[in-house]
Amino acid sequence: MPHISVISRRVAAAAVSVVLVGGAAACGPKGGGAAQNGADGAPKKGGTLTVLNRQPQNKFDPARLYTSGGGNIPSLVFRTLTTRHRADGTEGTKVVPDLATGTGTPSDDAKVWTYKLKDGLTYEDGTPITSADIKYGVERSFAPELSGGAPYLRDWLIGGEDYQGPYKEKKGLDSIETPDAKTIVFHLRKSEGDFPYFATSTQFAPVPKDKDTGAKYAEHPVSSGPYKVVRNTNDGEQLELERNPHWSEDTDKERHAYPDRIEVKSGLSSAVINQRLSTGAGPDAAAVTTDTNLGPAELAQVGNDKSLAARVGTGHFGYTNYLAFNPEVKPFDNPKVRQAIAYAVNRTSVVNAAGGSALAEPATTFLPDRKTFGYTPYDHFPAGDKGNAAKAKELLKEAGYDNGLEITLTHSTAQDFETSPEIATALQAALKEAGITVKLEGLESNDYDEKVHSFKDQPGLFLAHWGADWPSGGPFLAPIFDGRQIVKDGANFNTARLDDPKVNDEIDAINKITDHDAAAQRWGALDRTIGEQALTVPLFHPVYKRLVGKDVKNVVISDWTGVLDVSQVAVK
Amino acid sequence: MNGLAGYFLRRALGALAVVLVLSLVVYATFYIAPGDPARLACGPRCNPEQLRQVREQLSLGDPFYLQYWHFLQGLVAGHDYSTGTGVLHCTAPCFGQSYQSNQLVTDLLAERLPVTASLALGAMVLWLLLGIGTGLLSALRRGGATERVLTWLTLAGTATPVFITGLGLLMLFCVYLEWLPFPTYVPLADDPEQWAWNLALPWAALALLESAKYARLTRSSMLETLAEDHIRTFRAYGLTERAVVGRHALRGALPPVIALTAVDLGSMFGNAVLTETLFGLPGLGQLLVHATQTIDIPVVVAVVMVTGTAVVLANIVADVLYAVADRRVALR
Repeated sequence: MPHISVISRRVAAAAVSVVLVGGAAACGPKGGGAAQNGADGAPKKGGTLTVLNRQPQNKFDPARLYTSGGGNIPSLVFRTLTTRHRADGTEGTKVVPDLATGTGTPSDDAKVWTYKLKDGLTYEDGTPITSADIKYGVERSFAPELSGGAPYLRDWLIGGEDYQGPYKEKKGLDSIETPDAKTIVFHLRKSEGDFPYFATSTQFAPVPKDKDTGAKYAEHPVSSGPYKVVRNTNDGEQLELERNPHWSEDTDKERHAYPDRIEVKSGLSSAVINQRLSTGAGPDAAAVTTDTNLGPAELAQVGNDKSLAARVGTGHFGYTNYLAFNPEVKPFDNPKVRQAIAYAVNRTSVVNAAGGSALAEPATTFLPDRKTFGYTPYDHFPAGDKGNAAKAKELLKEAGYDNGLEITLTHSTAQDFETSPEIATALQAALKEAGITVKLEGLESNDYDEKVHSFKDQPGLFLAHWGADWPSGGPFLAPIFDGRQIVKDGANFNTARLDDPKVNDEIDAINKITDHDAAAQRWGALDRTIGEQALTVPLFHPVYKRLVGKDVKNVVISDWTGVLDVSQVAVK
Repeated sequence: MNGLAGYFLRRALGALAVVLVLSLVVYATFYIAPGDPARLACGPRCNPEQLRQVREQLSLGDPFYLQYWHFLQGLVAGHDYSTGTGVLHCTAPCFGQSYQSNQLVTDLLAERLPVTASLALGAMVLWLLLGIGTGLLSALRRGGATERVLTWLTLAGTATPVFITGLGLLMLFCVYLEWLPFPTYVPLADDPEQWAWNLALPWAALALLESAKYARLTRSSMLETLAEDHIRTFRAYGLTERAVVGRHALRGALPPVIALTAVDLGSMFGNAVLTETLFGLPGLGQLLVHATQTIDIPVVVAVVMVTGTAVVLANIVADVLYAVADRRVALR
């Protein structure tokens, strides 16, 4: 997942933060912070939960959503074959059955995956969910009318490459078999041990063929989850969800669905969202946000207010911000130049530019620092806290740049605190100490995206980021370092253009492993090996700080999503 | 055809030409601008084959002139779109289908226009009341403490960005005093009272920003009019000061205010994005910004056309009011 729009730190730099924080200090909740995780009593059913967001929950069609683990709000409406375990921290990175009785039975070296559906599964209208509905849901995600989802199905399923969905090709995909109403079998082109993780995506939600309205389905998708959509205004800008009377806890051990009603209101500014959560007036007392972080100034203020501090949840999502090289552009073809840059970076100043140590953790590994990814610590080019200018100069000399070097760093002008000017400027200053003069090339965000992902135009050095589609090393390393994923006529994420048979073979070998822990170890080792080539310079992993309303209980934040799980929240 | 009807017909044709030229310029600008709408619609990791299918689905492979021609055809004759399972008919004037959400642009406009119209018209009433009132007081209390205070206040209003003013109002009325809820748009037809209460702060934020220049304009225009010979004559005839100011001087000072109001009101339809974002109002400004970021050309063109139409219409109304306010002006 190259970009997740849910992350925002814009408030960090905005002058309005000062105004906001002043308010937060003076007008925090008068009754004190309600205890989290049910500490003031067990969570109960009832009430209305309000979700205040910046970005609308648009394209609310299971075929069109690009989610990690089925998403947050979408997961309330769309149940999938498997789902993420709704538990705090590391425990929450596990994949568990949802509609299926298990996480999948592999065969033929994990090229075939079989699922059996649970008994008693129904849609919001009480009609039973069948395996054919799940097959149909997967197939319609191939329709060009319903584009937007993750690319894996097209890549993995036999016959998926040029399939155009059931509207144009009614016959469907032969690689998805439904021998009976409760069984579904997927035939893949290659081994994919992570298939159960990917089966958490909304594309694996059932869609009843006779209720499919194609491009208009998002207006009223048929629910299989604990809530149904009663109103979808302005393409997800306002979403009203009510309890689905046909959902049963007996078949769903993961979602609690405490509130009777959930109202999603978006299109708000970060400052207003945090202010409303802080004040907690009226319905805002039972409000949360799923896409807005606290900024550094707000965090500093929250630290001085115990009742507010008790309402801040901290989360980690598998995400790495890094410097990317295109080794086909000089002088980055020279490993010593890349290594010199790796030595020269000052991660302290970069972390400060990203919002400070509360919002970013320095990174020396490409894989995020969580066990589930196979995190294996390494620091091949130790720069210390402030950068190692002396070692960088030494390497530049060895590379033939005795008098220093002049290079261009491409970045986005979007104020996202990831690929934005603040980070670029911090790097520019650090590299200058090593005798590297950095010229900054700031591009408008669409221009930036197009250029840095174009095989032909990819700059030699640019700021990049990568997020996990699921918590495993595979979706982190394969798109970036698998030579067969170099895309010459589309979006290319293997910016290092690495096409090393040894790396490719190891990726294939790990994909055959269905034991997640065993695979994780191998991913970690592979990350460490690739890291020696200095094809990227990891900079930092983001940390998420989210404020919740004063009446919100049972806050669960897993390391899968890094944000509170709406399906666990109670307001009573 | 009498003079007035001819006037309106000429203005309407002129307006149509302006809006069409505007649409062509915007279409062309976004066509050549960096970024690929098909890729944005297709998703961040869309593969080349899928991208080709989406491009074909959105007719983005056609040359520019053909795409624009289809757009014009839709405006005149409507258009049918495939939903996959059926056909979605878009009646004329059809602005097309959003590349990103698949919604008809006319539906998007119908949802957003009432929000922006409510915001702009309400704010206009308030900024005129505040601006003209303050300008009048400043002119009549020239050189006194009242004028100095009012001048200072209007300058502060102009100098403060709406984002700061808006946040300040939210803090004061929603947080400290708790007199008002955090605004949520309630349609006028659903509940007029809640519609007004929820829009009170956005109106005030915009009015505080805009009223300053109206105050300055009214003051200078009023001072200029009060110095004219005919006002001295009215005073010599023994008319009361109230009659001189209210009936004659104000009327003479209003035309430039009317002209400015027309421009501001029209542009407010597309430019109130900061206010809409701050107060969470799903209006045209927000739609335009989002569509611009995602290169959703049909939506961008439609919003620009609506904004352009609003500016042109507001100017026509202003011309009529101008003529009513100043009898020396005739509509031709």
